[in-house]
Amino acid sequence: MRVYLGIDIGSVSTNVIAIDENTNVVFARYIRTNGQPINSVKQGLRELSVQALSDGYEVSAVGVTGSGRQMIGLMVGADVVKNEITAHAAATVHFYPDVQTIFEIGGQDSKIIIVKDKIVTDFSMNTVCAAGTGSFLDHQAERLNIPIEQFGDLALTAENTVRIAGRCTVFAESDMIAKQQYGYSKAEIIKGLCDALVRNYLNNLGRGKVLQPPFVFQGGVAANKGIIRAFEEQVGHEIIIPKYFGVMGAIGVALSAKSQVEASGQPTNFKGFDCIELDFVPKSFECSGCSNACEVIKVIINGEVAAMWGDKCGKWSSSV
Amino acid sequence: MKVSFPYMGCVTGFKKLFELLGHEVIMPEKPTQRTIDLGVLNSPEFICYPFKIMMGTYIEACEKGAELIVSSGGSGPCRAGIYGDVHKKILHELGYDVEIVIFDSLFENFGAFMNQVFKIKNKTPTLKVMKYAYLVFKMINQMDGIEKELKHLRAYEVNKGDFDKCFDKIKELYDKTYTLKQMKKTYAKALEMLHAVPVNIPPENKRVRIGIVGEIYVIMESSTNMDIEKRLNALGVEVENIQYISDWVKHHIIPRRFSKEESWKMFDKGYQYKSCNCGGHDMENTGAIVHFSQKGYDGVVHLMPFGCLPELITRSIIPQITEDYGIPVLSMSMDEQQGEANIQTRLEAFIDLCKNRSNKQQISPAEAANSKELKKEFAGIM
Ligand code: SF4
Ligand code: SF4
Repeated sequence: MRVYLGIDIGSVSTNVIAIDENTNVVFARYIRTNGQPINSVKQGLRELSVQALSDGYEVSAVGVTGSGRQMIGLMVGADVVKNEITAHAAATVHFYPDVQTIFEIGGQDSKIIIVKDKIVTDFSMNTVCAAGTGSFLDHQAERLNIPIEQFGDLALTAENTVRIAGRCTVFAESDMIAKQQYGYSKAEIIKGLCDALVRNYLNNLGRGKVLQPPFVFQGGVAANKGIIRAFEEQVGHEIIIPKYFGVMGAIGVALSAKSQVEASGQPTNFKGFDCIELDFVPKSFECSGCSNACEVIKVIINGEVAAMWGDKCGKWSSSV
Repeated sequence: MKVSFPYMGCVTGFKKLFELLGHEVIMPEKPTQRTIDLGVLNSPEFICYPFKIMMGTYIEACEKGAELIVSSGGSGPCRAGIYGDVHKKILHELGYDVEIVIFDSLFENFGAFMNQVFKIKNKTPTLKVMKYAYLVFKMINQMDGIEKELKHLRAYEVNKGDFDKCFDKIKELYDKTYTLKQMKKTYAKALEMLHAVPVNIPPENKRVRIGIVGEIYVIMESSTNMDIEKRLNALGVEVENIQYISDWVKHHIIPRRFSKEESWKMFDKGYQYKSCNCGGHDMENTGAIVHFSQKGYDGVVHLMPFGCLPELITRSIIPQITEDYGIPVLSMSMDEQQGEANIQTRLEAFIDLCKNRSNKQQISPAEAANSKELKKEFAGIM
């Protein structure tokens, strides 16, 4: 069976998925990145290779998105290397062709994508602050001693609403402590936090944009029922959660890879599962050539320098 | 006197002018990380980003012994008007004995303008000053023209880095040019060199064009905008910047009545959205977005320093312009904290958006070949 791979490298998790001809997800792994994207991709591919062998998959295209996409693309032999925004939108539009607004909240970043007639017409991405992302919730869950998995359900049990000033994590934290002392229940505080996150997110990213339904909400945080409800309350409309909400970026880039290979008629660049065994080492050093002191990164594959980047003047990147 | 000036885009012209006037020129360095660090350290925290970079440049020039720094001033209500005085004060506090001369517009205060000219003309006879000024004016015009074309062609270069090397050589040529006669030859040679660089230009309906507008310093000086033009070119997109030194000079030297300058037309196009200029170039920028849209550009990138008031105003008008004219605009703010990965992602997504809108997305054979050669395409994206 032909399958198409999608790899999405995030700062918190790395997702490796495979879809078949009909965009059924036949494989999906969610691996903690832990600052080691190469290892987590290798781990995902290793697990996939086992399944591929037993189920007889033939990899026909590979797409990579996320941070460090160029490097991973080089490692696996990607057909398409795409930014996260385009990748996410591609998947959403595939499943919900009439979508107009995509909310995406991941571990450390978040975006709003505006779509019209299946085409992205506008987007914004958080650039400065983590207050509208999953790490904000993780952090607060830890403080409150509640496993993040239960966070959302607990929020739904709240009877009253408490407003937590959540412009940034630090303020939210002190405000939360104050509200705890006033005697609000944990459930109410958690609901307050969910509301604050969504408010922040909509204020920071939605400014100047007209948000119209259908709304689709994806990314790791879409698992949180408290957040979903906060969204529904604040936009005043039902929110759609895709079945594969956690791996939409990977699915999107797999779809792009599929259409790229189909359009070009060329065989895939995929290096095969052997690439897991490649000795693939990125190294960085500070160039002392001038006072820019660029941090240059070089990738060594099996002892040979395969690529270099990070130099402002091109002295290193053009040397390979 | 040992003269220096801020580094902004192509500085060959300035250098020439001061050399001709008999000054010893302390060439400012293209801002590096050190320049930015120095500037940030020695500037008020909440001043705009361009101030900080110029601060760093001036300190570096003073370290090399500059005695006179020549810069341009700003008019209107934004902070540009205080740059010179505050820079001077900080430099003096740091113990550098340096004079700063600020050129404002010729028309607002002609007397003051001439006063400044006398400060730098260094006993050169006035007629000669005029002659030199003309030569340099012509030179920057030519060089800007070349640079403009380069930013279109570079999108299609076959071997990465060719055009940059070519432009470095062209700058060297101009550096050695001192008379009008020589300049004619230099110009011909430069054009020839530019057109000799191998390119692979796609059919007209596949070409993607992006306009760049924004605060003058961050759109002109590549080291302050993460080399945005080069990044766009590397994505296969042609770039047209609205600011060039020569345009600035023309805008401020030629009276409006006689001027066919685009900048004034931009002003007029901006008026439909607001009634006054808020300092800086917000009126032109507003107009320029309209202008690019009317010329059929696929999108506009708007750059502003973090906290820049005039450009914040432009930014707030952008959604309206997009609604009226349908042109997508990506607005980005620049400062010393800017992350590279974030910029790259937003640019890529924006270009995808523009291509999709104008239906230029089909995968070209070139692109397919490109992905085969990912390795070469490594443009420093992490
Ligand atoms: S890589 Fe180039 S720009 Fe960067 S420090 Fe070295 S010489 Fe300078
Ligand atoms: S235009 Fe913006 S960046 Fe420039 S001086 Fe004015 S406020 Fe500062």
